[in-house]
Amino acid sequence: MTIWWLALILATIGSAGIAFIWLAVRLGRNAPAAKLGSKNPAGTIESAAKEDVDRIFNNEFREELRNRGRLHFEKIIGENAMFLQQDLRLTMSQLNEFMKDEITNKLKEEFGKYEESIDDAKQLAIDSIQKTNVAIDEQRHVLSDQVQQEILAEKQQLMKRFEDNMADIVNHYVLAAVGSQIDLTDQLDYILSEMETNKKAIIEDILSGA
Amino acid sequence: MAPEPETAKPAKTAMKLPVLVSSPVDVGRLVRELQVIDESMLQLKLRKGTAAVRLPKTSQLMDQTAQLNKLNLLHVADRKQLQTFLETVVAKAPVLHISFSADPSVPFIEKLITWLRREIHPQILLTIGLQPNTGAGCMVRSTNHYFDFTLRKKFADNHQLLLDKLAPKAGKT
Repeated sequence: MTIWWLALILATIGSAGIAFIWLAVRLGRNAPAAKLGSKNPAGTIESAAKEDVDRIFNNEFREELRNRGRLHFEKIIGENAMFLQQDLRLTMSQLNEFMKDEITNKLKEEFGKYEESIDDAKQLAIDSIQKTNVAIDEQRHVLSDQVQQEILAEKQQLMKRFEDNMADIVNHYVLAAVGSQIDLTDQLDYILSEMETNKKAIIEDILSGA
Repeated sequence: MAPEPETAKPAKTAMKLPVLVSSPVDVGRLVRELQVIDESMLQLKLRKGTAAVRLPKTSQLMDQTAQLNKLNLLHVADRKQLQTFLETVVAKAPVLHISFSADPSVPFIEKLITWLRREIHPQILLTIGLQPNTGAGCMVRSTNHYFDFTLRKKFADNHQLLLDKLAPKAGKT
């Protein structure tokens, strides 16, 4: 873009210089004849120069220069407009590419941050779950120990109670096991012997309590 | 000289109760049966010359009672004597309540009542109860006393002995 502009300006300056040199050479061929005719008086030189200027830069020449300048200016304007249009299109396309890249990068960056935040949140959740699991495991161990201790204490208490009441347990077991197996007829001798032992008390109770 | 058996003195009567009559309920049945016989005999007497009146069939208890005491229930005097005796029994006979772990059989009750009437009182009556948790033996309840002849009581009395026997073995385990 800048190189095109620079080339264009250099071309303009070069064409203007060439036109000035051509004009100077042409005027230089006609100048010796005029110098020879008015060589002596100084005032005539100035007036001759003025006349030459007036003759060279007459209205037609000026008009021609003006037209040429106008054309050149229009050409430059047109070229500039074309360059500007191309540049604008190029800029637009570059801008589009830039915007696309920027948006893509931005989106990638945002998605990266989003994924990172999701990873962080996931990691946080995993850490939390792991901590919870560890706490649950610890609690389970504590609870298990407590239950074991409770069971042990209960077992010891049961054993102590069993030992304390062992005689009652044996009695109960014997009564339950033997009681229904002994026939009453077999018990008659035992019953009569017991009554014989307590006969006196029974007789006294009958006699006194009637 | 052999000592006289320690038995309570019976009422002034020579009549006896058969061993089958063991409870106040049996005596009550005898009383009611005797009343029925009396009424039948009265009807027989009143309907003399008319259709024959059927005498009620006497139960085994009444038969044994009459046979044991040599009574003829067709005689008014014998019936009166039996009625007086039964009323005396109902009023004055001692009653023992004995609880067993199971229902005793009739022979068992006969043996028991025989011993009781020989050793304790000739007219003693029994009411039988049921205590399944006694194991073995019986519980006797007289008028004012309670006698526990059960195996449970025996075990309870020898509780310390059982503990002493069991404790060393328990200590080893």
